[in-house]
Amino acid sequence: MPEIFIDGHSVQAKDNQSVLEAALANGRFIPYFCWHPKLSVAGNCRICVVQVEGRSWVEISCNMPVTEGLKVFTDSELVRAHRKTVMQFLTLNHPVDCGICDKAGECKLQDYHYAYNGAPSISRDAKVHATKFHDLSERIVLDNERCILCSRCVRFTHEISKSSALGIKHRGDASLVRASEDGALDHDPYSDNVIDICPVGALLSRQFLHKARVWYLEPTPSVCPGCARGCAVSIWHRKSTWQLKALDPKQNVSIARVTPLENPAVNGPWICNKGRDLAQIFERPRAEEPMLKGKPVALPTAIDAARRLLAAATHPVALVSSWGSNEELAAFASALSGRLTAFVKADWAPEPGERIEDDLLIRADKNPNTTAARALFAPLRNPAAPAFDAETDLVLVWGEGFDFARLPAKAKIIYLNAYLQPENGHADVFFPVSIQTERAGHYTNFEGVVSAFEPCFPKKPGIADAETVFAALTAAKAEKP
Amino acid sequence: MKHLIPEFERLKARFPQGFESSLVLPCVRRIQEDRGYVADSDIDGLVEYLGVPRMQIEQVLSYYTQFRREPIGRWHVQACRNVTCSMRGAERLIDHLTQKLGVTPGETTADGRFTLSTVECLGSCGTAPVVMVNDTYHENMSAEKVDALLSELK
Amino acid sequence: MPGTQLLMTFPVTATSHSLADYRARGGYATLQKALEQMDPQDITQEVAASGILGHGGAAFSAGRKWGVVKLDDRQPHYLCANADEGEPGTFKDRWILENAPHLLLESMLIASYALQVRHAFVYIRGEFDLPYRRLAAAVEEAYQAGYFGERILGTEFSCDIVVYRGAGSYVCGEASGLLSSLEGKRGYPRNRPPRLTVKGLYQMPTVVNNVETLANVAGIIAHGAAAFKKIGTPRSPGTQLVSISGHIDRPGVYEVEYGYPLKKFLFEDCGGILGGQKLKCIIPGGVSTKVLTAAEIEPVTYDHASFDAAGSSLGSGGMIVVAEGTCMVRLLQVLLRFYHHESCGQCTPCREGMGWMHRIIDRIVAGRGEPDDIDRLYQISRWNDGNTICGMGDAAGYATVGILNKYRDEFEYCIAHKRLRFGGNLEVVANA
Repeated sequence: MPEIFIDGHSVQAKDNQSVLEAALANGRFIPYFCWHPKLSVAGNCRICVVQVEGRSWVEISCNMPVTEGLKVFTDSELVRAHRKTVMQFLTLNHPVDCGICDKAGECKLQDYHYAYNGAPSISRDAKVHATKFHDLSERIVLDNERCILCSRCVRFTHEISKSSALGIKHRGDASLVRASEDGALDHDPYSDNVIDICPVGALLSRQFLHKARVWYLEPTPSVCPGCARGCAVSIWHRKSTWQLKALDPKQNVSIARVTPLENPAVNGPWICNKGRDLAQIFERPRAEEPMLKGKPVALPTAIDAARRLLAAATHPVALVSSWGSNEELAAFASALSGRLTAFVKADWAPEPGERIEDDLLIRADKNPNTTAARALFAPLRNPAAPAFDAETDLVLVWGEGFDFARLPAKAKIIYLNAYLQPENGHADVFFPVSIQTERAGHYTNFEGVVSAFEPCFPKKPGIADAETVFAALTAAKAEKP
Repeated sequence: MKHLIPEFERLKARFPQGFESSLVLPCVRRIQEDRGYVADSDIDGLVEYLGVPRMQIEQVLSYYTQFRREPIGRWHVQACRNVTCSMRGAERLIDHLTQKLGVTPGETTADGRFTLSTVECLGSCGTAPVVMVNDTYHENMSAEKVDALLSELK
Repeated sequence: MPGTQLLMTFPVTATSHSLADYRARGGYATLQKALEQMDPQDITQEVAASGILGHGGAAFSAGRKWGVVKLDDRQPHYLCANADEGEPGTFKDRWILENAPHLLLESMLIASYALQVRHAFVYIRGEFDLPYRRLAAAVEEAYQAGYFGERILGTEFSCDIVVYRGAGSYVCGEASGLLSSLEGKRGYPRNRPPRLTVKGLYQMPTVVNNVETLANVAGIIAHGAAAFKKIGTPRSPGTQLVSISGHIDRPGVYEVEYGYPLKKFLFEDCGGILGGQKLKCIIPGGVSTKVLTAAEIEPVTYDHASFDAAGSSLGSGGMIVVAEGTCMVRLLQVLLRFYHHESCGQCTPCREGMGWMHRIIDRIVAGRGEPDDIDRLYQISRWNDGNTICGMGDAAGYATVGILNKYRDEFEYCIAHKRLRFGGNLEVVANA
């Protein structure tokens, strides 16, 4: 545990740390582009330079091992002069695309330019051009002119996602980041992480391209429901203070993008591409009206009808959603577990072509809260205790993914679902319910880690929270109005 | 490249265990010697044989000046344009070659006989100017000697 | 002859590179002596005591480099001879590869024994074809004679060697770039720490030595460090193979004893300037060293101390002679084009700086230079010095600064008059 001195301040470093790591871990900032806490050291950007006391030159700190008593300066005149030259070199051929570049507002090059250089280029030669709008994969656009060749993206695919899909071809200032020609990047389910770790606007998300300026957006912490890992994510949407009335109001409640939210206990700084595509899940057409056998009714009418069905049933069964939050599951349990025999169903199964499981993040169980649900109820596929028998006369189905053809023909159906699906009309009573972006709650992942999600959007008037419906159903013994 | 695998196996046996990655350069060189360039199918075959990431081979092919993924002329005329050769007439020689062959550096003659390139120092500065044709160094060159050489190369 | 000869001690004939001829000259007797009479540590000590400095350009003590390798660390050690020889103006290792390959091999065997190396490599630039074939043939001869393989000369020492061909990249002559290439990848140099002698080839302790440095090992072990130190100067013991080219009457490879007067070497041993012209300057040690003008070489002797004092360096021993009338602006243009072409592209200052300098010099030569372009070249050189992953950025800077320091007037003339004072001439006037 060496003690080192950074700008005169004593810092307790760990063995095997670099000076950069020790500084950052102790609140002393040294700028960096190519270094990343989860990737190998490349040491190519040269901006993390520091000056060791007594030496008349600077050295990179990302590759400098800490030694007992080491004294470094992060802001000496020499360091400042060198950082400025690195910025001059980096901006030499970098296109002044800020006005049209998605990265503006969250770009390290911009930030460091203002902090450490701030001066116009001293070159009078035309900038060297390179490929713009290169299709790196179906999901990722690459602008080679903006690329500073830090190699973070390359190292990610070799060291983390292990697809080895990216590399740098040619050499010198003709170097170009490229994807391997066998399309491996398209099959790398973690490919989009390179968009986050790119320190400039070179790697961009095609689905987010030119959609919004980041300073009009805010991130809401959430949990990806794509599998039982429950990665922490940020769901980005328009800031409430920027709700523009003139434009299509749908823009105010849409998901602009999804990025990882760092959670050391679950996903570190990564998510898989499925998490990026949550809009494809959450923004499917929604069910907005309660129905009786497909006929829209008011909510109290639906509640009433459901209560009567429940009261009349002798062998009611419930199929519980593995997408239910801890709160919703608890509400179900307290309201209805005495009344119904409940089984946990897997709302989602792996899609064709989807990676089933790996040793990075992806889990075979494509549902976010199986763990909490199974702690309360039995799983659906248990041969020892089949869900339905000849006497089942009511099935309460909660959540999507169950094939209605498998329901007992003569059983009544109460159905709670968020999305517009044909089955909604087949249910005797149908309730449109909220999704996780419309309420607060928690999921428990496969390792028992509990993670919280917060609401991003208001829910539409006709939509109920499942908890509310469960509570209303317990007053089953109430008199008919 | 599959027919070269027995040869590659003998080559692999000369390296220490676990040096599969090192085989990339010699295998690529041999494939190129055999075919004249490295085809996409060669890359696939080599990936399968060595078990290295495809990107490693693609990067190597793009980084080194001696490797190519397209065929060139039968005779690769590589004229050094570095310091000493330039000081001993290489620039005039390259102009002469350009005129004589009717192509500029980087191009191949229409009959597919010659590809002209300029290269950096070949390590033969004492006998400058030097022109490398395929694998052979031709030293102390002049316009006359170049003409004689070209006429011999069918 | 420029002093005592240690390597170029035999006439080059059609067979002088063969095993038979080498053995007739006493070849492989030193290997036998080393294996039978000396311990590995003794050999390293002898090499260290000889004071021999690396002949690749960095002039680092070979014995000190070897001494970092721990013989008892139970890891594989590797030895690699650097035969990449890409520094413009340098062609002296080629002489050894073509004419004395067995001297290199015997020396490498002795070094491998000293360093407990089971697998040795020679990394040879891809363009070298005859040198490669000579070396490969020598390796086969040596294997057949039992000098490589298992239990060499009846001892416990086993060693295999692979000759590995490069494929066209100057930075593969940089030791860490060489090892990256030897691992089957791009020749990307690496940051230090760790040193290659700690983590080198596949992260194992590796010694990379220049071909000429290694070729001296057999002689040092045969005759002893003390005898070696008697030759040359105290700081620069032994000899240097010098490749001399350019506007010199008798270009070629010469073995120069350290301490030999430089002027004598140029004007007597090498016949003076081509066409009887006057000397303008020399680029002493491969293009990455600072030029020395005709006046400056007066007191200089061929050794490290004298060159340092003169403000330059011996470098790789590749001397380029420049006659009066040569345009230094165009000469720098050729150099910057070279560095730009060879930059691997990893680190910011070199990747961007080489292209920048090349574009500036192109503009100057084309008559579109501005006065502050000269300052810009100085700045870019300074900003690269010590701030890059490998020495190429620094080298380009030294070459540039050296020429600008001595010949700034040519650049100023060109910028002011929009034409080159010497008409852009690079050849000796009589030749043009």
